[in-house]
Amino acid sequence: MGIKIVKRHGDTLMEKLYLPAIAAGMATTFKHFSKNISNPTQIPTTQYPHQQPSDITDRYRGQHRLTKRADDTIACVACFMCATACPANCIFIEATEREDGVDEKMPKKFNIDLLECIYCGYCVEACPCDAIRMDSGIFSLIGKNREDFVITKEKLLATPGAFGKENSRAR
Amino acid sequence: MFSVEGTIIALVITSLLSLGSVPILVWMERRVAAFIQDRLGPNRSNIFGFRIGGIVQSFADMLKLIVKEEFYPKHIKFKFYYMLAPAIVFGASYLTFAVIPFSNTLLTDKGLSVVQLLPIELGVLWFIALAGLSVYGIILAGWSSHNKYGLLGSLRATSQIISYEVSMGLAIVSMLLTYGTIYLNGMVDFQGELLWGFLPAWGIIMQPIAGIIFIITAFAETNRAPFDVAEGESEIVAGYHTEYSAMKFALFFMGEYVAMAASSALIVTMFFGGYHLPWLDSPTLYDNPKIVLSVIGVVLIPLIVGMIYWMRRSNKISGVNEPQRARETKILTILLAIILIGSELGILALLNAEMTNQIASYIATAVQILTFVIKVFMMNFVFIWVRWTLPRFRYDQIQTLGWNILLPLAIANVIITAIVIVVF
Repeated sequence: MGIKIVKRHGDTLMEKLYLPAIAAGMATTFKHFSKNISNPTQIPTTQYPHQQPSDITDRYRGQHRLTKRADDTIACVACFMCATACPANCIFIEATEREDGVDEKMPKKFNIDLLECIYCGYCVEACPCDAIRMDSGIFSLIGKNREDFVITKEKLLATPGAFGKENSRAR
Repeated sequence: MFSVEGTIIALVITSLLSLGSVPILVWMERRVAAFIQDRLGPNRSNIFGFRIGGIVQSFADMLKLIVKEEFYPKHIKFKFYYMLAPAIVFGASYLTFAVIPFSNTLLTDKGLSVVQLLPIELGVLWFIALAGLSVYGIILAGWSSHNKYGLLGSLRATSQIISYEVSMGLAIVSMLLTYGTIYLNGMVDFQGELLWGFLPAWGIIMQPIAGIIFIITAFAETNRAPFDVAEGESEIVAGYHTEYSAMKFALFFMGEYVAMAASSALIVTMFFGGYHLPWLDSPTLYDNPKIVLSVIGVVLIPLIVGMIYWMRRSNKISGVNEPQRARETKILTILLAIILIGSELGILALLNAEMTNQIASYIATAVQILTFVIKVFMMNFVFIWVRWTLPRFRYDQIQTLGWNILLPLAIANVIITAIVIVVF
């Protein structure tokens, strides 16, 4: 290990003249310009409303959904772990007794205020039952008033997963 | 005998090239920047589905700036100077155009007419005076907005202009020695001739060093990149126009583009042959109007057909069916075809008509104005191209370049030019 002497640039006459380097740079930019102006359709920009993004993977945190068990009933047991973990306090759960014999407890109401939500995914990590997931692939939300952005248990259950693996894998 | 037709034509061309070209230049800047960086740029705003390559965006921006609230910061003490500053920047840039000759003298039925807004003998001195004056607007803006960023920006602009105006003046002096006149029409007439019988005697060919110095200093004079330290947004927010909003900001913004167009016009006039086509001087144009017309008619066909082909190929998104764009493409194709057929028929009618001196003069003037406008837009493209290639110079590098490199070079160039002229 010795001292490595880095070669300094800018000492030769060609470099001190500036203009050859500027010409080379302008040639590079003009190459890009002429390529793109001769065929603008090959520019990789996604023209969003017409072209949908193709790079949304199963790790993308989209709108939430509630999963179901193998017997098509709700997987959530209303343990409030997600609401506790939520840093934005946007999950509102009201628990009730479960009477179909599958489990003891289930949510009566499960509202998520998507205007408050910061899409951190802590609720998904906190869930012991794999009941809440963010794999719907939905990235754009539209509503006319604030109430439209509070999604209910029914809507959450009706949202399909975008990447297969529909049901809860907890049990 | 003096007649007013040429002045009217010059007024129209001046307004089109300065005010009218601002939206086009803003659009050009944004689209060229996008294409250089492999992006698309603004292409969405439209009127009834017509987006015309996104140029509607510029008009939308302008409308937004016009209807924006006129806001005056409370701490401003001298509101008069605060208001005056953008007007000076814009007015000085606009008036620069007044001395540019757009074509050779026009022969009307009342006599000869100069196609120039102000046919004064001052010529290039007018440009130097007004280019210097537009900096006063920037200084005043920075000072009167009572803001340290504004003041820093205007100080930077001042020192930069002081350093570069000297070299610019010396580059112009060597051009004056070469042409033997300060009258811009005389310079352009000189450039219509040939050097050694085969090279057009353009300024850039006879005086390449003066040409390069002048172009570099013109970049500095207009505060364009790479010399835009006056508004270096990474260091001093927005420089001299930090405290300005709405139409007052728009005047600065437009002033920058008008100044750019004016500098391009002067560069073209002094170094790139003005309104002359290479190897085709004004008498040749006057004498052969029919040949010129037929050449234009022939060139127009591949030009417009190629434009239609390019538009049909590029005005779409690959793999997406978009009815709005398809409709626009269809209507614009029909429109371009009508323009092509109409102009071809007009040229045919002119070819069959009796060719008087006046018609020949009007044809030559039209060709020269077109040449000039195309040259100015090519120079504008170079301005934009350089802006999106080179990063901003550091402040000390600007001063080093101005005083240590350009100034000695310009002085040496003047001395050598003078010696050559005296000896030969």
